[in-house]
Amino acid sequence: MTNEKHIASVFDRDLEAIQALIMKMGGLVEANITSAAQALEERDVELAAKVRASDKAIDALEEQINEEAARVIALRSPAAGDLRTVLTVMKIAGNLERCGDYAKNLAKRTGVLADMQPITGAGASIRRMAREVEEMLKLALDAYIQRDAELAEQVRQRDLDVDQMYNALFREFLTYMMEDPRNISACMHLHFIAKNIERMGDHATSIAEQVIYLVTGEMPEESRPKGDLTSHTDMDMESF
Amino acid sequence: MNDMRIVKRDVDMNDIKISAKGVQVYYGDTHAIKDVNVEIKDKTVTAFIGPSGCGKSTFLRCLNRMNDTIDICRVEGSIQIEGEDIYDKRVDPVQLRAKVGMVFQKPNPFPKSIYDNVAYGPRIHGLARTKADLDEIVEKSLRRGAIWNEVKDRLHAPGTGLSGGQQQRLCIARAVATEPEVLLMDEPCSALDPIATAQVEELIDELRENFSVVIVTHSMQQAARVSQKTAFFHLGNLVEYGETGQIFTNPQDPRTESYITGRIG
Repeated sequence: MTNEKHIASVFDRDLEAIQALIMKMGGLVEANITSAAQALEERDVELAAKVRASDKAIDALEEQINEEAARVIALRSPAAGDLRTVLTVMKIAGNLERCGDYAKNLAKRTGVLADMQPITGAGASIRRMAREVEEMLKLALDAYIQRDAELAEQVRQRDLDVDQMYNALFREFLTYMMEDPRNISACMHLHFIAKNIERMGDHATSIAEQVIYLVTGEMPEESRPKGDLTSHTDMDMESF
Repeated sequence: MNDMRIVKRDVDMNDIKISAKGVQVYYGDTHAIKDVNVEIKDKTVTAFIGPSGCGKSTFLRCLNRMNDTIDICRVEGSIQIEGEDIYDKRVDPVQLRAKVGMVFQKPNPFPKSIYDNVAYGPRIHGLARTKADLDEIVEKSLRRGAIWNEVKDRLHAPGTGLSGGQQQRLCIARAVATEPEVLLMDEPCSALDPIATAQVEELIDELRENFSVVIVTHSMQQAARVSQKTAFFHLGNLVEYGETGQIFTNPQDPRTESYITGRIG
C-alpha cells in the first residue's frame, strides 16, 4: 500500500468519496446498534421505531457505495492497492448492511417484548454484548481508515468475547424457560436478539479480515478462536 | 496468489527459453540497464512494463542483438536462449534474428505484395525448396497471423494497402514465417484502434501455443490482458518480475505499486 497521490487527482477524490461513504454508513450502523440495545433495556418503543426507520438510510448508502465502486472499476481500472480498496469497500458495505438489518430486527422485537413480562437482567446483558460488538465495529472501521492490520487482528481475536457472552446468555435463557414456561415467548425473542448480535460480531470480524487483505494483499489464513459452542449444546436438564 | 483467469491460461513454469544474467547496457556513458537477471519461460507471454526511459525496450532489443546496430551501445553479462549464448562471437546476428523475430510499434510492411512480405524471410534463409513449399509457408504464416481469411484473395496486392491493424498482423505473419522460437513485440498495438488492438491481443494469446512471446507495452491494461508474467522496469533496474495476476493485485515492491496504480513513482 502506498500513500502517494495519483497522477489523476480525480481518482484520489473518487476513492476518498467512497471511503467517506463507508465511514458514514459505519457511523449510522454503530448508532443504530447502540440505540436499539438502549431501547430494548429501557423498553423505549419510540426509540426502537426510530432505529427501524433509519435503517432505510443505511440500505441506501450500501447501494450508493456499490454504484460508486462499479463506476470506479469501469472508469479507472484500479490495480493493486486501489483494486483491493474498491473490492473491500463493497464487501464492507455488505457487512455493514447486514449489521444494520440485525439492529433493525432487534428494534422490531423490542416492540413485541415491551408488552411482555420483563426477564430480569436480560436487557442489561444484551446491552453489554451490543456495546462490545459496536466497539469491535468501530475499531474495525478505524483499522480500515488507518490501514492498520495489527488493530484489525486484535478485533478479529476479540470475537471470542462476544461468542462467550452469547454462550452465557443462551444458557441463561434456557434456565429461565425451564423455570417457568411463561418466559418462553420472551426468551425466544431475546435469544434471537442475542444470536443476531453474535452475528454482528462475525460481520465485524469479517470487516477486520478485509482490512488485513487490503493492507497485506492476503486473507488471514490461520484460524481465529471460535467460542460459539451452542451448536453442540443439548437441552439435557442435568447439564444445568 | 494464483493467476485468477481460466485454467487454460495457467503458466507452465518449467521451460526456460531465455536466461539473462547480470546484463548491463551502456549507451556511451549512460548506464541504461543495471544488472538485470531474468528467466523467460517458453510458451508464455511475458510483458515488460515501466515508464518511458526505464530500459524496457533497450532490454528487449538485447534479446535479438538489435543494439549491435548502435555504435555507442555496449552490452555486458550473459543472455542465453535455450542454453546458447547469443553474444558468442560465433553467433551470426542475422541467423539469430530469424530465431528471435520482432514486431515493431508502427506496422512496417515492405513495399511489396502481401505474399512477398511473408515470403521474404523464408527465401533469404532458404527455408523453402520449391514454390509449393513457399506457398505453404506463406499460407501457414498468414493463418498464424490471423489474417489469412482477409487477404487470401489478394495475396499479390501491396501490403501497404492494408489497414493499420491488418498491416500489423501481416508483420506478425512475416515475423513467424521463419519459424522463430521467440517473438519480441515493441508496443505492437500503440498505433492501432481498439478493435485492431483486440484482434492483435487475441493473436498474441494464440501465438503463445508455439512461441515464447515478449511484449513491451505502455498500456498496463494490455500487459494485464495478454501476459502470464510481468516484469516492471524502473530507471534501468528490473524492480519486480512475477506472475501477472500477482503483479496487478498484490505487487511486492512499492515502486511497482506506485507505477501500476498511476501514482508518481
